[in-house]
Amino acid sequence: MIIDCNAFCGPYPFRQLRYHSVDAILGLMDRNGLDGAILQSLTSVFYRDAHRGNEELYQATRSHPTRFLTVCTLNPKYVGWEDDLKQAVEQWGMKAVALYPSHHGYQWNDPFVADAIGKIVEYDLPLVLVQRLEDRRQRHAWDAAEDLDLRSVLDLATGNPRLRIFFCNWNSLDGTKLANAGLRGRCLIDFSRLQVLLNRDVFKLMDSLGVESIAFGSHLPFDYVGPSLVKLSILESMEPRDLEKIRSGNAISFFRWSRS
Amino acid sequence: MQPRNRRYAIRTVVGGLGMISAGWKRLAANCRPAVERTSATMAGLPTAWQQMRKFDMHNHVFDPVHRGDGSWKRVESMIEAAEILGIEKLFCSKPITGGVLAGSEEVREANDSVIAAMRRYPARIAGYCFLQPGNGTASLEELKRCLDQGMVGVKLYNQFKISDPIVYPIVERCIQAGIPLLSHSAHLTDPKSIAQQPKTSDSLDFCQLATRYPELMLILGHIQGGGDWEWAIKGLRDCKSVYIDTSGSVLEDGAIEMCVRELGHHRVLFATDQTMEGGVGKILSADLTPEQREDIFWRNSDVILARRRK
Repeated sequence: MIIDCNAFCGPYPFRQLRYHSVDAILGLMDRNGLDGAILQSLTSVFYRDAHRGNEELYQATRSHPTRFLTVCTLNPKYVGWEDDLKQAVEQWGMKAVALYPSHHGYQWNDPFVADAIGKIVEYDLPLVLVQRLEDRRQRHAWDAAEDLDLRSVLDLATGNPRLRIFFCNWNSLDGTKLANAGLRGRCLIDFSRLQVLLNRDVFKLMDSLGVESIAFGSHLPFDYVGPSLVKLSILESMEPRDLEKIRSGNAISFFRWSRS
Repeated sequence: MQPRNRRYAIRTVVGGLGMISAGWKRLAANCRPAVERTSATMAGLPTAWQQMRKFDMHNHVFDPVHRGDGSWKRVESMIEAAEILGIEKLFCSKPITGGVLAGSEEVREANDSVIAAMRRYPARIAGYCFLQPGNGTASLEELKRCLDQGMVGVKLYNQFKISDPIVYPIVERCIQAGIPLLSHSAHLTDPKSIAQQPKTSDSLDFCQLATRYPELMLILGHIQGGGDWEWAIKGLRDCKSVYIDTSGSVLEDGAIEMCVRELGHHRVLFATDQTMEGGVGKILSADLTPEQREDIFWRNSDVILARRRK
């Protein structure tokens, strides 16, 4: 079984995505042997009221509970975010919370961020942090977002020792720094932008943080799925128990996904 | 082209993974057989993808391996990755980046690194000669030296736009020798990136040069190396003699299909530029016929390389 931890649905304002509807994504998953996906909403990132994107995500995926685990995208700068979070988690069953400070226009040290983190910890949900949606060098003139900065995230982790963090679509992660911030055992990293060969990012992170820290991810439908399938093929020589963790076990465990 | 040497490759794999802690060394012994075993059954990947012939037309030797103190680790890792991914040949250069107007000695030293790698791995590594066009006739002398050492093409970076007349003597020498010219490229849209690389060529610059020299085998480097690849592909529509290579760290869906749709698959050359699993994976994922995939993986490049005048 393979679970893709780095998946999005909804149109993207700056480039055509071939497979952005839930139906199209299901077809893409089937063609690539992906059994499930941790799915985020792109409209939540770009709507003024992110929660309307959460609502769309819930409506589009509610009939596929074994294929999708949905992520609530929260804008803690927006009025009523506490009620939105409550509805997403308690009514719609969303199992993780994503923050997009650059897209939503706030800083990590804004006071409402601490309140939001407190609520996420209280719900015992993972915080999803996407380093970037696309490469900055090709940005649209209206795309002002910057890549997330690791130092700020490590400060967040250090200051919130019960916070679990999913590093989605990151590269250049230093496992030692993550371990020093106390993230061993409370972080998950998808390997879509990491190398198995050449720089051996995946092995270095496993050395610092354990095999439980790595999960399959492809960044669909932005990116081709093939690169991540090739990485998984290369990892097939690992111990079957460890391989299964990367294919799906770590995702199921980290996001506490009951797929029944 | 020499066949792959499996015994040698597995020895390299084991040696290369020595830098990883003991817990993961067990990967080494099983790595290639595991790929062979699983690739036949993994949904989303064509059957036996690893056995498909592949020429990586854009890669690098970054370290000064020609010197006694130069480390071979990164080259060994690249060889290991090529072996596992079924990449038969790596076409490598060592460009001097950052827009530095390097002198002849520095350029020569960069090329010596590639020549050393070619000698150590003759069946796997071929060389592009990096040139700094501002060095004038010394560039042409360096090109002759590189070709005498067995290099197969020229690599330019971003010291000058590819359409700058200062490049013309190099172009004319490439045409005479029947060798390809590969150049760094991007259509950058990010102000910070533009400021860092003001002389990076985009596809219209390539078109300008190709219009003047239609007989040149000109390769636009890394269509997904950062920059607006949709813009870059559309910009090449009317310049039928320009090839593109598929490399770069950007793995965005639809790019390969757009290259084929807009340019025709014979103008598309497989490459990785160090994004090796990604580079292979996107060609495997793209909606291509088996014949198109094979042409892109190696045959188109083979046709180019066969044009070299002896």
